[in-house]
Amino acid sequence: MSALRCVGMGSRRTRERGLLAGAAALGVIGLAAVHTTLHPAEPWRPVVVGGVALLGFLVVHGALCVSGSAADEIMLPAAAGLSAIGLVMIYRLRPEYLIRQAAWIALGLAALVLILGVLRDLRGVRRYAYLCAAAGLTLLAVTVVAGVERNGARQWLLLGGVAVEPGELVKLLLVVFFAAVLAEQRAALTLPGRRRWRAEFGRLGPMLLCCLGALLLLVFQRDLGLAMLYYGVFIAMLYVATGRMDYVAAGLAAFAAGAALCYHWFGHVRVRVDVWADPWAHASGAGYQILQGLYALAAGGVLGTGLGAGHPMLMPASYTDMIFPAIGEELGAAGTFSVVALYLILVGRMFRAAVRAGGAFEALVAAGVATALGLQAFIILGGSTRLIPLTGIPAPFLTYGGSAAVANFAALAVLLGVSARATGRRRQVEALRGAADR
Amino acid sequence: MARRTANVGRLLAVLLVLLLAYLAGVQVVWGPQLARSPQNPRLAIAAEETQWGRILDRHLTVLADSTVQGGRQVRRYADGPSYAHLLGYRSARYGLASLEMRYDPELLGMPAATPWEASLGFFGRTVRGDDLVLTIDAAVQQAAAQALGDHRGAVVALDPRTGAVLALASRPTFDPAAVDARWPVLSRDPAAPLLDRATAGQYPPGSSFKPVVLAAALGAGRATQRTTLDCAASVSVDGLVITNFEHEQYGTMSLPRAFAMSCNVAFVHLGLATGAGPIIRTARALGLGQAPRFDLPAAPGYLPDPRTLGRRGLAEISFGQGSLLVTPLQMAVVAAALANRGVAMRPFVLLQVRAPDGRVLAAYAEHGGRDALPSGIASQVAADMVEAVRDGTGTAAQLPGVVVAGKTGTAENPHGATDAWFIAFAPADHPTVALAVLLENAGVGGQVAAPAARQVLAAALRAQAGQGGRP
Repeated sequence: MSALRCVGMGSRRTRERGLLAGAAALGVIGLAAVHTTLHPAEPWRPVVVGGVALLGFLVVHGALCVSGSAADEIMLPAAAGLSAIGLVMIYRLRPEYLIRQAAWIALGLAALVLILGVLRDLRGVRRYAYLCAAAGLTLLAVTVVAGVERNGARQWLLLGGVAVEPGELVKLLLVVFFAAVLAEQRAALTLPGRRRWRAEFGRLGPMLLCCLGALLLLVFQRDLGLAMLYYGVFIAMLYVATGRMDYVAAGLAAFAAGAALCYHWFGHVRVRVDVWADPWAHASGAGYQILQGLYALAAGGVLGTGLGAGHPMLMPASYTDMIFPAIGEELGAAGTFSVVALYLILVGRMFRAAVRAGGAFEALVAAGVATALGLQAFIILGGSTRLIPLTGIPAPFLTYGGSAAVANFAALAVLLGVSARATGRRRQVEALRGAADR
Repeated sequence: MARRTANVGRLLAVLLVLLLAYLAGVQVVWGPQLARSPQNPRLAIAAEETQWGRILDRHLTVLADSTVQGGRQVRRYADGPSYAHLLGYRSARYGLASLEMRYDPELLGMPAATPWEASLGFFGRTVRGDDLVLTIDAAVQQAAAQALGDHRGAVVALDPRTGAVLALASRPTFDPAAVDARWPVLSRDPAAPLLDRATAGQYPPGSSFKPVVLAAALGAGRATQRTTLDCAASVSVDGLVITNFEHEQYGTMSLPRAFAMSCNVAFVHLGLATGAGPIIRTARALGLGQAPRFDLPAAPGYLPDPRTLGRRGLAEISFGQGSLLVTPLQMAVVAAALANRGVAMRPFVLLQVRAPDGRVLAAYAEHGGRDALPSGIASQVAADMVEAVRDGTGTAAQLPGVVVAGKTGTAENPHGATDAWFIAFAPADHPTVALAVLLENAGVGGQVAAPAARQVLAAALRAQAGQGGRP
């Protein structure tokens, strides 16, 4: 009976299926294009494997169908589109990583289904908020102590030969913790009347400490992009929960002060900023990467050179930090605009779900996760194109990497769940209204 | 809380839309300029993968093309040494120079004119770069190279009506095809053969600056054609004694005669009467003292500050000495502006960019000009320049059947014998060619530079007659 719901015309899930098929087709066509251009003599296995990973999205869709979910129907296809473009570019830039990235996507989708199945109600998580914070900070601390350095940042943990980037997962744990603290304290913080900063400071103490600790640990890891992301999410959630502009102002002032101190104290921060201000002055040194990114974007023009016809390999880290300029070179402004549009759609739908979420905790988690994804996309897309200083963090769903894939699909699962419950509530309300009218 | 959540969402949307606008800027608006940056490694890659475009003169005579030798593409120059400073070179080790560098993206076909062309590389066909058609006339360039002979120096010839460069030659020169092998010698040669004297050589103008002083005096109302000047053998200005060339003395003479005979003492009197301000302003209006906008990097020369010049300094610049420095290209523009009723056309050398199939992708007829002098002043100076060639210091530039206007210069310099200058245009009533000739340490302008100019003028007029006098 429930499976039949998916066959009906015009339903959410029908739209989702069509969009997902489109995204998968896009990915397979792209993979095939790269294959025939660059590896015509080799077996087609990578294309098949990539295609199978993208079909995984349809399996998730099937699971949503069978469970009769009323989840948002746009988020999953938007993520599928970004994953497809990411797979194509990884095959183009680092063919030997394609199969692994396909596996990461499959793993991420499995995590998504698992979370959707287990987390029927987010409120259950609230009890573990402090555990989340402790686990998150511990993970970051372990990374500082036992982590390995890659590309100048000590942000990786080696677990049985697999490099894990804990920062990506900690992002979600901290959102849960912040949401729990704010949901509990927001009533006290939004009372009308005289502001009593000291008392409020005490109420927010655990959250401030946690945020400060995480930021310090990230600065030790030299992971400035993630530090910026955490802090942005923190301020955004504080604003959403309390609406207190004095907090926002204080937060931004603290950010400015912290940024200035980092610029003063840390050579690597200074280099990043100086290179951003004038990459040509450091053309053969620190500015090389960002300059190559600009040349790649310029080489792409409107329609791009075509897959396999450009020279994105001239950029260091083309398949990770610089994947967006690589897209810009071979797929042109058409490609970069499509990617930004997909992020706009995905993040937009996430905020839509957050706005409709029921209950302060769930709404705050949803808002935090949506902010995290949108801000992360902006930081790395803007950074790799020299709109803002470059700090290497993965572009959600696009960049190569397992930890990021699992974390992002988990985030997607949370928001899909929130949107499904919101729709369920609306339907109930409508049904009640209908009954009352009668 | 829902409202504030939506606000955060809106803020992020604004940031992403900002990113879109920025991307449009980088990829579409500034993209072509970024792609041209000599630091862009894609240029070097394209140079490997592309058959370089050719460089042609205005009649499509091939000046440079390329061939494959031992699996490598090499440049072939039709008359390498004559064009070395203008066209430049393509060296695997020492990079690119001059037009080869300035228009490298065009010669490599970047950005490809059509997506179809860009994709040709896919199918294993060599993509061919675009051809450059120059304003240069090979016959005039050849005459210029011959006129320079064994002298160190430069010739620049322009069409004064448009600013199109007909010839640009510099000596001593080198073989652009042999730069790799000869570099150690070329780069250390004290005669500096790699220096383009036409655009980058800076010299005192000597008497070839007198048209500027004359224009300033006429423009400031300090003199008319009927003014008489004292041309004694020498004059003392605040203790500085200035003498005429070879101590000539003519007594009192009319302004046109003083100009035609290039009397230094008379021009010192004229300059002192006019003042430093009008002279420097006129020189600046004619393009001196600033780097001309041109296809190649060009030196600015030097004009002193009139406020700090003093009477002695003013006396010196009145006959083109003192701290004044000019380039042959700048003096050619001065001659062209006097020829073109005071309008100085911007000099340029790229006439067309053509696709390999001959389609014209870009064409330039002119790059505009500016009113350097009132046309009445310009034609008075032009008339006096006609007199200088008819019966003055420039008689060696006379051509049968054509009225030539010109001015000689014999500039003292700290490096030995005088530099010989001649600036000229012809035919005087409707000029179609203007030029500047400079011969380093070669002696007297009227004796060596004027005959050289004559050859180039004759070649240019002959070439223009051959094509019906079109610009």
